[in-house]
Amino acid sequence: MPALHRRLLLGATAALIGLSAMPAGAQTGPAKGEPIYLGVSGPLTGPNAQYGAQWKQGFDLALDEINGAGGIKGRPLAYIFEDSQSDPRQSVAVAQKFVADKRIVAELGDFSSPASMAASPIYQRAKLVQFGFTNSHPDFTKGGDYMWSNSVSQADEQPLSAAFAVKRLGMKRIAVLHLNTDWGRTSKDIFVKAAKEDGAEIVATEGYMPDEKDFRSTIVRIRDAKPDGLMLISYYSDAALIARQLQQAGVKLPTVAASSVYSPKLLELGGDAVEGIFTASRYFPEDPRPQVRDFITRFKKKYAKEPDAFNAYAYDTMVLMAQVMRESGTDRKAIHDGLLKVKDVPSVIFGKATFDPNTRRVSGAMSVDLVVKNGRFTVYEGGPVVH
Amino acid sequence: MSSWFDYTLNGIIIGNIYALLAVGLALIFGVARLINFAHGSVYVVGAYAGFVAVTQFGTPLPLTILIAVAVGALLGLVIERFGLRPLQGYAHIAPLLATIGISFVLDQIMQLTFSPDPRALPSELLQQRFQVGSGTIGALDLLIAAIGLASAGLLYAFLRYTKLGWAVRATAQDRDAAQQMGVNVDAINRTVFAIASGLGALSGLLVGMYYNYIDPAMSFQATLKGVVAQVVGGVGNVPGAIAGSLLLGLVESYGIALFGTSYRNLFAFVLLVAVLVLKPNGLFASRRQTPPEPMTGTFIAPSKPIHIPYRILVALALVAALLPAVLPDPYVLQTLTNAWLYGLAGLSLTLIAGTVGLISLGHAALLAIGGYASALLSINLGVPIGLSILSAGLIAAAIGTLLVFPSFRLRGHYLSIATLAIGEIVSLVILNWESLTRGPIGISGIPPLSIFGIELDTDRSIYWFTLATLVVLAALQFRLLGSHLGRVLRAVRDDDIAARSYGIGLNRYKALAFAVGSFAAGISGGITSHLYSYINHETFNSQLSILALTIVILGGMGNVAGAILGSVLLVGLPEVFRIAAEYRVLIYGLVLLLLIRFRPQGLLGTV
Repeated sequence: MPALHRRLLLGATAALIGLSAMPAGAQTGPAKGEPIYLGVSGPLTGPNAQYGAQWKQGFDLALDEINGAGGIKGRPLAYIFEDSQSDPRQSVAVAQKFVADKRIVAELGDFSSPASMAASPIYQRAKLVQFGFTNSHPDFTKGGDYMWSNSVSQADEQPLSAAFAVKRLGMKRIAVLHLNTDWGRTSKDIFVKAAKEDGAEIVATEGYMPDEKDFRSTIVRIRDAKPDGLMLISYYSDAALIARQLQQAGVKLPTVAASSVYSPKLLELGGDAVEGIFTASRYFPEDPRPQVRDFITRFKKKYAKEPDAFNAYAYDTMVLMAQVMRESGTDRKAIHDGLLKVKDVPSVIFGKATFDPNTRRVSGAMSVDLVVKNGRFTVYEGGPVVH
Repeated sequence: MSSWFDYTLNGIIIGNIYALLAVGLALIFGVARLINFAHGSVYVVGAYAGFVAVTQFGTPLPLTILIAVAVGALLGLVIERFGLRPLQGYAHIAPLLATIGISFVLDQIMQLTFSPDPRALPSELLQQRFQVGSGTIGALDLLIAAIGLASAGLLYAFLRYTKLGWAVRATAQDRDAAQQMGVNVDAINRTVFAIASGLGALSGLLVGMYYNYIDPAMSFQATLKGVVAQVVGGVGNVPGAIAGSLLLGLVESYGIALFGTSYRNLFAFVLLVAVLVLKPNGLFASRRQTPPEPMTGTFIAPSKPIHIPYRILVALALVAALLPAVLPDPYVLQTLTNAWLYGLAGLSLTLIAGTVGLISLGHAALLAIGGYASALLSINLGVPIGLSILSAGLIAAAIGTLLVFPSFRLRGHYLSIATLAIGEIVSLVILNWESLTRGPIGISGIPPLSIFGIELDTDRSIYWFTLATLVVLAALQFRLLGSHLGRVLRAVRDDDIAARSYGIGLNRYKALAFAVGSFAAGISGGITSHLYSYINHETFNSQLSILALTIVILGGMGNVAGAILGSVLLVGLPEVFRIAAEYRVLIYGLVLLLLIRFRPQGLLGTV
């Protein structure tokens, strides 16, 4: 039995029940007729285009399933993806476009906080739900009661990472490398606080820019702080670069990385340098939950590769929206109210997702501790690595 | 102490990488007097050419290098022939803009072909590492250094001892004279572009292998670092570019050592500004060298502006004002509101760049200052919104002018680079000055736009407010251009030596124009922050600076109506091309290139 968190197992059972319950009200056979549209505002071009591409894969996979099983009361669900380049100037125009388009019943995105939150006043005024499924910025849902998010809150995730690093792996002197963005900065602050509460000392924190490629001097600085472990609050591409340069600099430190590195790309870009990196994930390849098994199998069949975190967020979100619409109807107001009411939606990320009516966020993300072993993510079953 | 050795070594290694980029940029600048913004795109193409060769055909390293260089050289020839040669004889500003357009197109083609996902670029035999100090250096580091030095050596020998090399240097010194002496200047240009682009592609390949990482978005950063390195060494000076690159690498590395990683680029850009102000020809320029850019009157070409009668302008303003009544589509209104806000930035830059000739590449910094000023004044001090926006304009004018003042002695490209650096510095200060700006978390909950306590919460009222601001400031600028002051400013641009001999205090007038211009930019940033309700250091980024300059050049330098027209087009076109989805930026780049090709003096002409 892998060392799973208890919550995960509970979640698995719940998901099973959820799955078997779901098709009951829905018709079988493919959906027909005029589609119901969601608007997606996100990057398809520009520096963040890779994330928009991953969203699409997740959405399309979920739609195959939803529309194959009768769609929303017989009507197919579809989305209109407008490229914003994750630029606030364009995301506000996209917002107006969606608001004016009566076919759009809710909006998903945008990717970066400046782009998403610049558009929030427009969605709020027009009373169109803005569902920021990658928006972990603590102030995102404070934009108004039409801002919702099922993004994993860093207040949830980082204490788990800290517990993994300190309590399970035994790190006592931790150096933190973080992306110097709103996400990285928020995560770092929460991680540092949690790690200190768990009894570790933070010996260095270094923030780097998203387009940074060279980390050699940063590594020297970290090495000189004499940590016994490293925490990376990074995306997979930076994490791979950092791991390679750590290896080249001859610095061998047990390393924990934020769950955002969970991607086959980390293994491809990092090669043997990412071997032994610890991370947490919302799901893992051998996950017994049926929702996850189904997601991974169908994803691999459709795209011939392993899904990553962004694929999963997009997939989960589409499944959730479909559930809300099936239960509460398909006009803008109904979706807003439906989000309040919806309970225990089967979810890859959360096991089952329910919104907190005050924060309009979902808490209690699944977490399983992983390690990269023989070029694969595997469940970590060991104990402390720092003595 | 051993750490200092490591920092030095790391600085040299990264400097090595910058050198590969800077050498190509320096060569092109030396001959064509052009900062080639497409250089980073050639670098990306080189990296992907190598990627295809290695992963599809399993080519050995020497062959991979050869392929990347050949692809790069070929691309250089194509860029020179179709992108830049048709612009010969026009002012230098046109080819500059063309390289920006070319880089849009190339980056987009790469992204569409290879997907935006990053890829691994494996290098099989270069994994040996040698222990040096407490770190290691790899065979690839040595290869990069060797190629950098070898290409510099070869270039030196080529320029010094071959006939073609003489011709290149002659062309660099004085193009017209060289042509009169029978040098085929076009052929020289071609040669230089092929060599420089071959080098650029090679650096892309090597850097990709070095990091085992390539993606299509890495071009802008590559261009930026290459430009900084070559300016530090002295623009157009090949050995200087190498020395400048190493220096840049060292400064970054020591900056990290002393202050931490988030200050890295701050040091690079402060170094750049210091070098520009103290030794404008670069640290390694010889004393005898003539300043490479007297170029009075050649950077911005005089042309006959299209005269639009006042009555038509007033009529157009009225049509714009009545539009919401006829066409209440919020999407159209929002797009136009954006255009009016860019129009304000355009007005500002067209005065600074067009009328006075200070081509600024860091204009976004002024909007950022304005945006933060208005947001912080209204949140922290409770200043009413209208007043906070007005103060934002004044603060942007004061801080902007103060920052740029030391650079007023610079001209042409040098000033552009200085403003580019100042823009980056402002953005990095915003990122790091957390007690004031909240750093990367940004400022949220900025109160919505309102005047005299009346909240502007409809699309129409926001549209009218931005339009009215634009019209008022545009009218003032019209008046300014027609006045004695306007003529003085243009005199400074057209011939500063003549202007000075008439007793015009150049710096004072430049400062005055900069302050007036920055005011409009600050207002634009201030309004934007209230519309968005959230800003952080990325809201006003360097892409915005490039866009502002594009607006100004497209509309016609110094041309008030042109700035507004340019803004409507550049904000509107990407929206119009939305149906093309992923292809829209590609189409936008191509349209931009065609506009430059057929109207290099701008749509409405230089005023």
